[in-house]
Amino acid sequence: MKKLPIAIFALFALHLLPASPAGAQDFSEGSQAKSWGLRGEEPARFEAKVVDILCELTGNCPANCGDGRRQLGLLRSDGVLVLPTKNGQPIFTGAATDLAPFCGQDVEVDGLMVGEDIPAKLYQVQLIRPAGEGEWQKTNRWTTVWNAENPEAAKAEGPWFRKDPRILSQIEDNGYFGLGKEADEAFIKEWQ
Amino acid sequence: MRKSLGGLALAGLLATSGAALAAPERIQVTGEAIDTWCYFSGVMGGADAVVGTAHHTCALWCAAGGIPVGLLADDGTVYMVLKLEGDDETNGGDTLLDVQSERLVADGLLYQRDGINYIVVEKVVANEGITNLNHEDYGPVPPFAIPELN
Repeated sequence: MKKLPIAIFALFALHLLPASPAGAQDFSEGSQAKSWGLRGEEPARFEAKVVDILCELTGNCPANCGDGRRQLGLLRSDGVLVLPTKNGQPIFTGAATDLAPFCGQDVEVDGLMVGEDIPAKLYQVQLIRPAGEGEWQKTNRWTTVWNAENPEAAKAEGPWFRKDPRILSQIEDNGYFGLGKEADEAFIKEWQ
Repeated sequence: MRKSLGGLALAGLLATSGAALAAPERIQVTGEAIDTWCYFSGVMGGADAVVGTAHHTCALWCAAGGIPVGLLADDGTVYMVLKLEGDDETNGGDTLLDVQSERLVADGLLYQRDGINYIVVEKVVANEGITNLNHEDYGPVPPFAIPELN
């Protein structure tokens, strides 16, 4: 039997290796990420391609990564798919809206890998720019998009989560605990 | 040295190809729809406090804000939801908002990638509603979730 060339063997071996968990490598060099004091946080600056996760995993691939509907991922050059769960705003907002304008593009991101005692860390994107060029942009697009989609609510005082029509409707129907208004009233009365 | 797109390109190609070829596993998960950011980051305290009724309002905020929603199974495994009964609007959509904190029995397809479990929920077999009444132990988490308390 002919010997399998070493290069081909190496390719097979590499192919059989499981991909590394998202937080397994050190990407901290050059990071400007600000600490949030989170569980297991590690600064992480790296280049990746913005991808539609559902497309990447299932082959269901609408145009433009689903036009902002879907969760988006960061596919590194080593093949690891990083899950961004948070943007840079401290107001309960995810990362997909900030990543959406970069669908299919190579970007450089800076932020925090977060979590411990889990198979893979999640990512908070604080800064983003096209790969290899340009000014860093803060990941704060979410509020701009929300304001455009909720022009009447945006005029009111307070942060978005206090005036979002869908959230107000949920709380009106089911209360703060999801158990109905009577449960809220009983708790508030006992608490005060 | 910062990692660049040029490095390990061949490894990336192979890893991506391998993942693309992986077939999903059909599973049934029983668990609570949770806010994955607060659950994993510890930003609001321990994991037991950022689920259930205590965290319900914050879970609404986070789901509406586009933070990925997960299913926290009884064995502690978290499955990131990529689709729920045909609805792929996982960036702040109504379908996921409506099930926050509820305990679901979900049939779907599991995709495992780089240490993370992703699920495409094809059918919610049962919805048991909100069953974790942990506000009795923790109050609202965060406390400012109920403005009347401040």
